[in-house]
Amino acid sequence: MKTLAAAVMSFAILASPAALAQEKWPAKTIKLVVPYAPGGYTDLTGRITARFLEKELGQTVVVENKPGAGGIVGTDLVAKSPADGYTFCVCSVGAVSVAPVAQTTQYNPLKDLAPISIVSTIPQTVIVNPKLPIKTIPELIAYAKANPGKLTYGSSGAGGLMHYSVQLFDARTGTKMLHVPFKGGAPATAAVVAGEVDLSFTNMTDALPQMEAGTVRGIAVTSGKRSPFTPDLPTVEETGVKDFSVESWNGIIAPPGTPKPVIERMSAALKKMAEDPEVKEALAKIGATPVFTTPEEYQAAIAKEVAQWTDLLKEIKTTKN
Amino acid sequence: MIESLQLLGHGFAVVLTLDNLMFCLIGALFGTLIGVLPGLGPVATISLLLPATFALEPVGAIIMLSGIYYGAQYGGSTTAILVNIPGESTSVVTAIDGYQMARQGRAGQALAIAAIGSFIAGCIGTLVIAFAGPPLARMAQSFTSPDYFSLMVFGLVSAVVLANGSLFRAVAMIVLGLLFGMIGMDVNTGMPRLTGNFIELSDGVSFVAIALGLFGVAEVICNLEQDISRTVTSSKITNLWPSFAVIRQAMGAILRGTGLGTVMGVLPGGGATMASFSSYALEKKVSRTPSRFGRGAIEGVAGPESANNAAAQTSFIPLLTMGLPTSATMALMVGALTLHGIAPGPNVITRQPDLFWGLVASMFIGNVMLIIINLPMIGLWVRLLRLPYRFLFLLIVIISSIGVYSVSNSVFDIYLMIGFGLLGYLLRKLDAEPAPMLMGFVLGPMIEENFRRSMITGRGDPMVFLERPISLAFLLLSLALLISVALPFIRKRREEIFQDEEA
Repeated sequence: MKTLAAAVMSFAILASPAALAQEKWPAKTIKLVVPYAPGGYTDLTGRITARFLEKELGQTVVVENKPGAGGIVGTDLVAKSPADGYTFCVCSVGAVSVAPVAQTTQYNPLKDLAPISIVSTIPQTVIVNPKLPIKTIPELIAYAKANPGKLTYGSSGAGGLMHYSVQLFDARTGTKMLHVPFKGGAPATAAVVAGEVDLSFTNMTDALPQMEAGTVRGIAVTSGKRSPFTPDLPTVEETGVKDFSVESWNGIIAPPGTPKPVIERMSAALKKMAEDPEVKEALAKIGATPVFTTPEEYQAAIAKEVAQWTDLLKEIKTTKN
Repeated sequence: MIESLQLLGHGFAVVLTLDNLMFCLIGALFGTLIGVLPGLGPVATISLLLPATFALEPVGAIIMLSGIYYGAQYGGSTTAILVNIPGESTSVVTAIDGYQMARQGRAGQALAIAAIGSFIAGCIGTLVIAFAGPPLARMAQSFTSPDYFSLMVFGLVSAVVLANGSLFRAVAMIVLGLLFGMIGMDVNTGMPRLTGNFIELSDGVSFVAIALGLFGVAEVICNLEQDISRTVTSSKITNLWPSFAVIRQAMGAILRGTGLGTVMGVLPGGGATMASFSSYALEKKVSRTPSRFGRGAIEGVAGPESANNAAAQTSFIPLLTMGLPTSATMALMVGALTLHGIAPGPNVITRQPDLFWGLVASMFIGNVMLIIINLPMIGLWVRLLRLPYRFLFLLIVIISSIGVYSVSNSVFDIYLMIGFGLLGYLLRKLDAEPAPMLMGFVLGPMIEENFRRSMITGRGDPMVFLERPISLAFLLLSLALLISVALPFIRKRREEIFQDEEA
């Protein structure tokens, strides 16, 4: 029975590109699975992408929200979807690069996903409650070292990017801060405003309006380069923390085994999208920057991130013991 | 005050354009429609309509999307009253007395009072946004995890008051609800808990699935035992409209519910749910005849329905004054605003006065529209009850399935609903009430989350719950309520024992 199933499957894999070569892709509605709830940052990116792809590919593109477990549910669904070129994931760094290391997922991000291109990136902003006497990263490090275990940081949940980027920061700077998980990034930001926690590494979209109003103090961005939205904020690396770069991305990922012509056509469409002025404007509104990568570059980026988080986890475990 | 009035006048000038009035009406209509359909909630609808607002002016878009949200609160009570199906957590308690009223042929009265209460609550809630928004937002900000924990404990104790029958069964049902609430990802470690390796359960059991199953599907199964050619109401449908006496009877409950809802709506997470539950508990406590509750007491409909509408209105306060969403729907509003290039934050009122005051003004107009839409519909809804059950139950099951599916596009949730339907049937056979169980289910995860967070920030010292005045007050209130519930029970038991001895 198993061999029969295997035979059928391998036949299906062999047959699909041939079948696709005969008909022009896309011949029917394309589905973009967003593994998060509607209205969030990834959802908005997905909708902007869908709108552009509809025009570019001349086919209806629908967005389907499959929220759950910090994006694992939807990403898992896409990893197991038929590789017929009609299901894609608007995936995000959390469920692809962090969760498989921090938690258990049924998919291996390096084998069970076929990345096509990152479409947008957004840095995290280090925000602190303005009552704290902390205005720069060196001051944060000094304060944390002078008061070990006193500083608390909020995150969107255990094992998420907001949690792990602070863990990485702790590991790189030799500080130790107390993790306070919340259910989502917005309540974590609210807790910094209210002073329930001292700081958080928050998505720029959530942080910007609060920083403008002075309810929180932004002191740095976590990305490798400064953000065009906050040109005055230094990167964490600039302030002297070595080997620290964390960025949240959204990208289009296909199920493994998706025919090469489909991936190439999609990649070309996404390349065009990154240059599109309308898309640029729409992404700017949500605080994101359009990006294009080739499938190979994207795959390499994920591999690098997975390695970074795997190393970090090992480091934390050895220092604990 | 005078400045606010001027600004409000400006807001009306913004709304009173043909376009914006139309968006307000569309929002109210859509809201009513999805509110009536069980399971189909504002989150699914707003996310569906979000792309359609891309081309609109931001103010018009937000007016429409907000209309959907508060409009849904009007319709939410309809199925709870007519067929005992609460589509949202806020209408769970409405079903208790509302459905009994429907069975007695007083569905029209219940629906009318729900609409009138919603209207009054909606208008008062909007006034509060206009004149007391920022101070209320600051009050909500002073609530931290220990305070939430104690508030939720208070809610859980109130759930005992919900029960009409045996106290022991009510407590057992709350515990069962708490247990179902344990399913899902552990807050502090992110590890799945009690999920039986179903990845679909990693965020917990869907509320809509459990509510529609326990109430709706179970109701259908129960009715299958009987002659299916009959209709819901056994008695003749009498007085479609409430008499003046009934309105007067309900008015106190409406105003108390509005007060509770206005304050609790500002709190993040379950504010509206807590408001409707505590309003029911309050009405039962202040009533001179608490025995009428559970048997069709109009206050049991008027209070919670007003509370949830007031809460729906004031839940806009943290979003509009601080840029902090307090629920999934409000998070969606943040998304909508952001897409339109408005970053919701503490500066929205000063930087976007058109948006803020226009939205507030549209809420007054929207509430007037809603009552005009809803009152005439009552006759239609009540006629629906004359539909033979063999048609009605098909409709219920189909619409419930669509609603459950629409929440997160998951077929698994439909199976869950069926499973809970069977459980609900079993519980009915055992004379156990589902409302306290749902309360435990809703509050359990929030209690746990806030308890564990308090223990982290308090460095493991349980005194954090007693050191904070808000938290301490709620704990003392819970204790008082617990004693007031337990005392008559103990006295009754003693009487029973004495009676046994005498006999």
